[in-house]
Amino acid sequence: MAAPSTDLPLEYSREELLDSGSYDEPLIAGGVRCHGGFEADGSYRSPRTIHRAPAVQAWQERLRREDCDLIQIDPALMPPQYPNVEQAKLLLLEGVREPVVRRLTIISIVEGFGAIIRDVGVPDLASHVVEPITGTSLDHLEQGLFEAHARDEAGYRDEGGHKQMWEAARDLALENPKIPGDVLMQMMGQGPGRRRERKRGFPQIDERLERMLATMAQVLAVEVFAMGAFDWGERLLSDSEVSAEPEAAGRMVSFIRADESPHVEYLRTGLSEVAARTLRTVDGGSIPGREVVRGMLHSTLRGLTRERREEQRNDIRGALIEAMQVHANPASLLERFDELETKWTPPEHTGFEPEDPEPQA
Amino acid sequence: MRLFVRAYRSLRIGSTAVAIYLLYKVPAWTRRLLQRPPLGDDELTPTHQRAARLLLWTALGLRGVLIKFCQVVATRADVFPPAIIDILKQCHDAVPAHPFEEIREQVERELGKPLDAVFREFDREPIAAASLAQVHRAVLLHGEPVAVKVQYPDIERIVHTDLANMRRVCAVYEFFDPQPIALLPLVQELTRHLELELDFEREADCADRIRDLFARDGTVVVPQIHREWSTRRVLTMELVGGIKITERARIEAAGLRPTDVMQELMRIYTRMILAAGFFQADPHPGNLFVQENGHIVLLDFGLSKELPEGFGLGLFELMFSMMTLNQSAMVRAFEELGFETKNGDPSTFLLITERMMKRSDTGRFEGEFTEEMTDELFDAIRENPVVSVPSDFVLVGRAFSLLSGIGASLGARANVLEAMGASTGATS
Ligand SMILES: Nc1ncnc2c1ncn2[C@@H]1O[C@H](COP(=O)(O)OP(=O)(O)OP(=O)(O)O)[C@@H](O)[C@H]1O
Ligand SMILES: [Fe+2]
Ligand SMILES: [Fe+2]
Repeated sequence: MAAPSTDLPLEYSREELLDSGSYDEPLIAGGVRCHGGFEADGSYRSPRTIHRAPAVQAWQERLRREDCDLIQIDPALMPPQYPNVEQAKLLLLEGVREPVVRRLTIISIVEGFGAIIRDVGVPDLASHVVEPITGTSLDHLEQGLFEAHARDEAGYRDEGGHKQMWEAARDLALENPKIPGDVLMQMMGQGPGRRRERKRGFPQIDERLERMLATMAQVLAVEVFAMGAFDWGERLLSDSEVSAEPEAAGRMVSFIRADESPHVEYLRTGLSEVAARTLRTVDGGSIPGREVVRGMLHSTLRGLTRERREEQRNDIRGALIEAMQVHANPASLLERFDELETKWTPPEHTGFEPEDPEPQA
Repeated sequence: MRLFVRAYRSLRIGSTAVAIYLLYKVPAWTRRLLQRPPLGDDELTPTHQRAARLLLWTALGLRGVLIKFCQVVATRADVFPPAIIDILKQCHDAVPAHPFEEIREQVERELGKPLDAVFREFDREPIAAASLAQVHRAVLLHGEPVAVKVQYPDIERIVHTDLANMRRVCAVYEFFDPQPIALLPLVQELTRHLELELDFEREADCADRIRDLFARDGTVVVPQIHREWSTRRVLTMELVGGIKITERARIEAAGLRPTDVMQELMRIYTRMILAAGFFQADPHPGNLFVQENGHIVLLDFGLSKELPEGFGLGLFELMFSMMTLNQSAMVRAFEELGFETKNGDPSTFLLITERMMKRSDTGRFEGEFTEEMTDELFDAIRENPVVSVPSDFVLVGRAFSLLSGIGASLGARANVLEAMGASTGATS
């Protein structure tokens, strides 16, 4: 993957990072103008990437030049989809459509919530990081990176984003299905509220800085795991046995997936830049950024692969069994459904366990 | 005697209405005679205040429906000017208690037993007195402390008389005034609310329903109902304690963080309103406690409301479109929620949201219906009479605005979208 060292600039304005350039043809999904569009040769180009894509590449190259690791989350950590593609297909073929509609709607809403990233407070990073941060993605988080991410997910003004694109894919494939009244109930979960972490993981650093980094770690993990949902959506909705518009619906999901890769890339670049630096502590000392970033990724990944997963699966399963009651023989359907489930146990390690006190040279 | 009471109430309601009417009309007639231009909105403020005080005074004297009417008017910032609303808001705290003997008679009549055959103790002084009922602390024979909510004797009859009077007053007013404010729909709304609130059996059912909704949480407290000692007019329930939700100093002294309390409260309300479509529609601070372990107590299910299917999703879409400044989605959401423009021009919706969003620092809706924003929203609606607002939206808007007020006392934000996001685990 050794890209030739180019002389791409490291500094970009907010306007540049938010610039989509012009398209030959806009993307229209379900009658709604969406972001992104097509080049003259018919290929899809993601929104706000004409400068953002080379920018992230330049920052990554710089990390490589300076011999710093680029953070990588092991795809094996990604829990399987529930219901998986075969299970979802079975349900649709048997006329039990509600759970699939619900799942697709929840994906669209959760995508939309990605916009919350723009409300993450960015502290004065230069004062919290010992080494200079000019010419890094960190220095551009507030300079357009968070905003571009937010707009990609939720749409901006009258241009739809991923939320609207998922809705369009769902409505194309399943022909404008009725949205179950309990989607928000399912989405918000029925258990107790997940208490905001009372205990801070790294009380020695600035609270705003901690919150921003923890959010970035969390969103990075969610984005990486979302790839599983995109595979699922693309395979299911482009299957002509269950989809009314296999080609259009499948393509729509593939555009969403293409738009996501800049998110994963800038987030892992930013966290890697922190990991390569030293953070000031509130008492005047310092702590290696590596320790903080790894600690946050470790706890996020453990949470997502262990506690949350079981809880979500059980919530979904309850509603699934209820929805199966429209079938002539719910018991046998459930049996066939269960046989198709992907068996999975979370891997032992996240890959971000605390390291030995003496790092190797 | 009864007849006398009824005649007296009719007379006072009627004369108050006439007095208020004249308060507005005499200056207008005089100005017309003197050929001066009619008074502007701002210049009318003193008149509004005088009228509201007159109404409040009569209401406190007669109690019953008029108090409720004041409460309903106070919630309709989309119809009435702020000067009136500010004064009528006071009717919440100002209600005097009924004498204990009246209450004792009512309880004994309802339960069909002498008081001491059911209760070992029964406090003479109420914990709280409101327009239709008051609440007493008591202890059941086997020793369990309870709260007993007792409807005032004869309140149903009084309610009916008052409502009939008010309908009559409205009809007369609409006959005389060339451009009447639509008061009759308000009276109808009031009638619906009163029917709900006067039925304690329904209130008990609603309490059970909300308790079930949070059964798996173990962190939300809804008092258990003692059905054997409850009727349509008497509600005997578990006595629960806690710190009043706006008492920040006591909350902190208990070792709780006000921001956590607020986040939990918002989670509870977004779960009820957006997810379940059934909610306790009256989150004023008197109805909410926090316990030392951080559990939240919900009280008073008299005004619990079932929302139409799809309402939660519609509201979410509205907030979402206001956050992303997506105008076509805003219009769609308004229409889905049942808003209507009389001239069929949807751009009115956009003017209204634009005014509301100007009240936020970023010019976008950020997830919190602050009091200023809700006030602005309802002001904008009032000044654009072409828009009609679904009454469910008014109730929900009021609830979020009350929550935002609680947030302000706690020094925390009442962000709806954040509360939803946190419980989905979408981000942060
Ligand atoms: N189960 C209870 N345990 C302890 N206190 C209670 C209980 N129920 C009610 N109270 C107290 O009594 C007050 C009035 O009760 P409630 O709100 O049910 O009556 P209300 O007639 O509907 O009053 P309002 O219209 O003012 O809300 C509450 O604010 C609370 O302080
Ligand atoms: Fe996305
Ligand atoms: Fe994303």
